[in-house]
Amino acid sequence: MKLFNLRYEFDWGIPFREPFVGWLITGVELTLLIAVVTAITSLVIGTIVAMLRCSRFKIFNIPAKIYVELVRNIPGLFWLLFFYFVFPEILPFGIGDKLHEYVKYSVVAGILGLTVDNSAYVSDIVRTGLLSVPRGHIEAAVSTGLNRFQQLRHIILPEAFRTILPPLGSRMIHNFKNSSLCMAITAPELTWAIQQVESITFRGLEVTFLATVFYIGLSLIMAAFIIKLEKHLKIDLTSIKEKRTGDGLFS
Amino acid sequence: MDFFLEQLANWKFYCIGTYPTGPLTGLALNILLAILSISLGFFFGVILGLGRVSCRMYIKYPCSIFIDVVRSTPLLMIIFWAYFVLPVLGMQLSLFWCSVVSLTIYATAYQAEIVRAGFLAVPFGQMDAALSTGMSRFQALIYVILPQAFRMMLPSFVSFFNSMFKNTSTVYIIGVVELTRTGIIISQLKPNRIFASYMVMALGFWVVCYSLSYISEVLEKKLGVIDYEAYKPEICRQDLVLFPLPSMIKNMLVTNKSK
Repeated sequence: MKLFNLRYEFDWGIPFREPFVGWLITGVELTLLIAVVTAITSLVIGTIVAMLRCSRFKIFNIPAKIYVELVRNIPGLFWLLFFYFVFPEILPFGIGDKLHEYVKYSVVAGILGLTVDNSAYVSDIVRTGLLSVPRGHIEAAVSTGLNRFQQLRHIILPEAFRTILPPLGSRMIHNFKNSSLCMAITAPELTWAIQQVESITFRGLEVTFLATVFYIGLSLIMAAFIIKLEKHLKIDLTSIKEKRTGDGLFS
Repeated sequence: MDFFLEQLANWKFYCIGTYPTGPLTGLALNILLAILSISLGFFFGVILGLGRVSCRMYIKYPCSIFIDVVRSTPLLMIIFWAYFVLPVLGMQLSLFWCSVVSLTIYATAYQAEIVRAGFLAVPFGQMDAALSTGMSRFQALIYVILPQAFRMMLPSFVSFFNSMFKNTSTVYIIGVVELTRTGIIISQLKPNRIFASYMVMALGFWVVCYSLSYISEVLEKKLGVIDYEAYKPEICRQDLVLFPLPSMIKNMLVTNKSK
């Protein structure tokens, strides 16, 4: 029985032939580089924006809100294209021309665009975490004499990041998947390599299959890692209570 | 600023292209793609979501595998698969239908997850109560379970529509002329207007997405949010089965882990 009219003969030698294998390997490296760098930068920027959004002062509060609302409602692809095509044009003093001459500007533009796109989502997630820290914990921190920075460093941020770890992790996986969009600005990462191989040999299925397996495998590994990290960081409140009441003053 | 106003004067081209005489392009194509893929994906998503909460392993695992695989693949990869593989299988689709197919596959997996969370949020005993009033299992699902589940899913659906609308800009890569491509075409025709054309493009996306996110915010305040992270993947609902098996076969096939 022939289910499909399959007019294709698989040639698994293609991904391992010479110029292609080099492209695929650099593609994997660049994908990982973009994903890791954007994860770190967007986490930093997102945390800062979230703290500004939680501020009492309108000077900090309103610009952060505008940033988040602006970025969240425009697709990530737009930001990539914006940083690649438009951003060098609007820079003053001929910096833009130098950027155009820089060979790897596409990678830099990809990192910038993905950072802007991801940081807004991260800041929203971090903000829910900051708001979920109980008021009493902050008051307790104040009463023990910690200053504002120490409160953030020792009390608020650790508690917030524990609560938001699952959504933050899924956002980072999403960011890793979004790094494939960098091919639109010709950053030579994995998806770009696939597209090049396809356009030269007209045999896209093998490389597309390998790349899909790579993306699925790495996302599942990241998901498993996040679940494990969550279990590792979880504080078992019941056991602490038992210990305290066991050798406490009023036990 | 004058450049910007000049581009805004061409709003009709950004919105519908040259529609009555030529093909439909621009923002309207984005909205059309989003609506088509969401509504097709909703149909399959309800089936897959029901399969995912089933306690029968031979239904549950294929559904979970499909959902997990699609959810961990980039949308661009799914679009490439539809673009490269469907012609090999002998289906000659136009670019529009190719993008509809790939966006539908993507939307199905995400909506199945929303539907699953909605089903798990329906209290136990609703099915029993419906059955005791004399409804059949199918009627109970249609008239009792689904309305309650949909009420809880509605805010998530609206925010998913928002993200799906943004994702439709990805099909620009295979050459569908939607808003992103329109903006790029104009910026290539007039390189000195590049900033203005990009701004109009962003404005088009922003207006639609902001109104959608506003609606979803209002709905979330009214109807409440489902906590997606609280549901573990091994949970199933024994009471939602449509066709009950004889107990001997059931004991062989069904897991004991219910909610």
